[in-house]
Amino acid sequence: MKRSIAGACAGLLSPLLMTGADAHPHVWVTLHSEILYAADGSMTGVRHAWKFDDMFSAYALQGIHHAKKGQYTREELASLAQLNVDSLKEYDYFTFARGDGKKLKFNGPIDYWLEYANPSLVLHFTLPLKTPAAPKALKVEVYDPTIFVDFEFAKETPVSLSGAPPQCLLTVDLPHQPTAAEQMQLSQLDATPLDASSPFAEIFANKMMVRCP
Amino acid sequence: MSSLHQKRARFKNLVAVLAALAVTFVAGAALAQGVPFGAPHPASAAMSGSGLAGWIFAEQAAFYRSLSGYIRASKDDGAAMWALFGISFLYGIFHAVGPGHGKAVISSYLVANQETWRRGVTLSFVSAGIQSVVAVIIVAIAAVLLEATAKTIGWTVHVVEIVSYGLIILIGLRLLFVKGRSFLIACRQFEWPVRQLEAAPSAAGMSPVFHRHNAGLIGCSHCETDGHGFHCDGDHDHASAWSHAHGPEPAELGGAGGWRRGLSAVMAVGLRPCSGAIIVLVFALAQDLFWTGVGATLLMGLGTALTVAVIATLAVSARQIAGRIASAQAGWGMLAMKAIEVGASALMIAFGALLLAGYMASEQLWMFTG
Repeated sequence: MKRSIAGACAGLLSPLLMTGADAHPHVWVTLHSEILYAADGSMTGVRHAWKFDDMFSAYALQGIHHAKKGQYTREELASLAQLNVDSLKEYDYFTFARGDGKKLKFNGPIDYWLEYANPSLVLHFTLPLKTPAAPKALKVEVYDPTIFVDFEFAKETPVSLSGAPPQCLLTVDLPHQPTAAEQMQLSQLDATPLDASSPFAEIFANKMMVRCP
Repeated sequence: MSSLHQKRARFKNLVAVLAALAVTFVAGAALAQGVPFGAPHPASAAMSGSGLAGWIFAEQAAFYRSLSGYIRASKDDGAAMWALFGISFLYGIFHAVGPGHGKAVISSYLVANQETWRRGVTLSFVSAGIQSVVAVIIVAIAAVLLEATAKTIGWTVHVVEIVSYGLIILIGLRLLFVKGRSFLIACRQFEWPVRQLEAAPSAAGMSPVFHRHNAGLIGCSHCETDGHGFHCDGDHDHASAWSHAHGPEPAELGGAGGWRRGLSAVMAVGLRPCSGAIIVLVFALAQDLFWTGVGATLLMGLGTALTVAVIATLAVSARQIAGRIASAQAGWGMLAMKAIEVGASALMIAFGALLLAGYMASEQLWMFTG
């Protein structure tokens, strides 16, 4: 009898537990990234171009003053671009880099601007490394651990290298279709803490890897 | 890592602890296996329904992404508008299966308050309805009338959210007070006969508790008047085990005041609009199709209401089953039910507090726009 009561308790609790961080993407970003290298062959930063989905673009553009209907100049979008990069600081720009397994830190973004190509907004920005590095194995991941933003590599030339030493080899790893076990994990998102180090987040991570032997 | 991430991690840890507790309960309990949307537990989850959550996740995302195309198309195609409404409805159903949308809070409220499933379903629909209407009102005032920016809209949603979570905590506190008092009194009543039996010769000395019982504060007061110690189960109408002078009686809840309380709870929950609805509305407005967006939002709300109602019904049924089992165990069974009610009230406060503490972790409309 006690067990049935415990069962009933669990039955009561289960629907109650379905709360927590929201695991629904509401923003979709198609990304193109360029990994930047200095003349001495060290990696200096990442240049992003993030294209937002049409609905979020319309949302972000709401109330932004513009002279011509359906057109926005870079100047008209300057304050929004500023707002974007300011807000993204809190989320580490969704960009996580490791050189030979060690975390690489970025400075705040430079050269940032927005362009509007109907129906999408594209955010351009460059993240310079705090200190340039020349790792043998570089990994840069772009993802939102909370899955509010869904990142997806652009179909054509998702990643390019700018000024990399000739022996460097780039590979790109797309977020894969979750396996059954990972889907299970997905359904437990609310109960299981997700952090950048959890292997689960890798499902959604867009990985750029550069090997420079 | 920023403080937000830490906050979020802390929040998730707490949720994980709660989940671990639930899983402990589930072990060895056949009953819980029948809860289709229940928190999955590793043992059975690996075998059953593993694809369902992922499928729902993918479907709702696909529905959402198709909305913009339908909204555009409905500009000069009436059929596309009906397709849009259909998709919005389905999106609402699927979307609400995921976390959020007040399912947890509403369920806690229903369990703590001994609500009927009918009431639960009605309140779920009212809550989802309010949620849609709030989204429409915010966008209508901020975007249509004031031509405010996304930043302002995000800020407004943010403020509404904080108010909503604050109200949830207040309602939870009120429930906890009522249910906690009722539980404590039942507790005293439950322990009393044991002491009474042990100390029977000096029964006159037991006066404080004894008198309070005789004062009719407690529904079971006839137990001690039968002269055979604590034998509630002998002549007891089990239904009356629930009726206590403290806290709302089921009958009282059925009255106008009960509805008002229920409405205040769903009002608190429903205040917080869904980010998806806000984005869809603003997008529709940008296409000069605001009213189409309003239609889509209301149908999303209807879909959400269906899902929330199912979850609420599950919670209420689980409670009723527990109640039936408990009523077979006079004494502690009733106590256990009271404990569940107290627990549910506490959960409601916990949800409110967690949401408030981690309010930025729910749906960050301001992730890019301040």
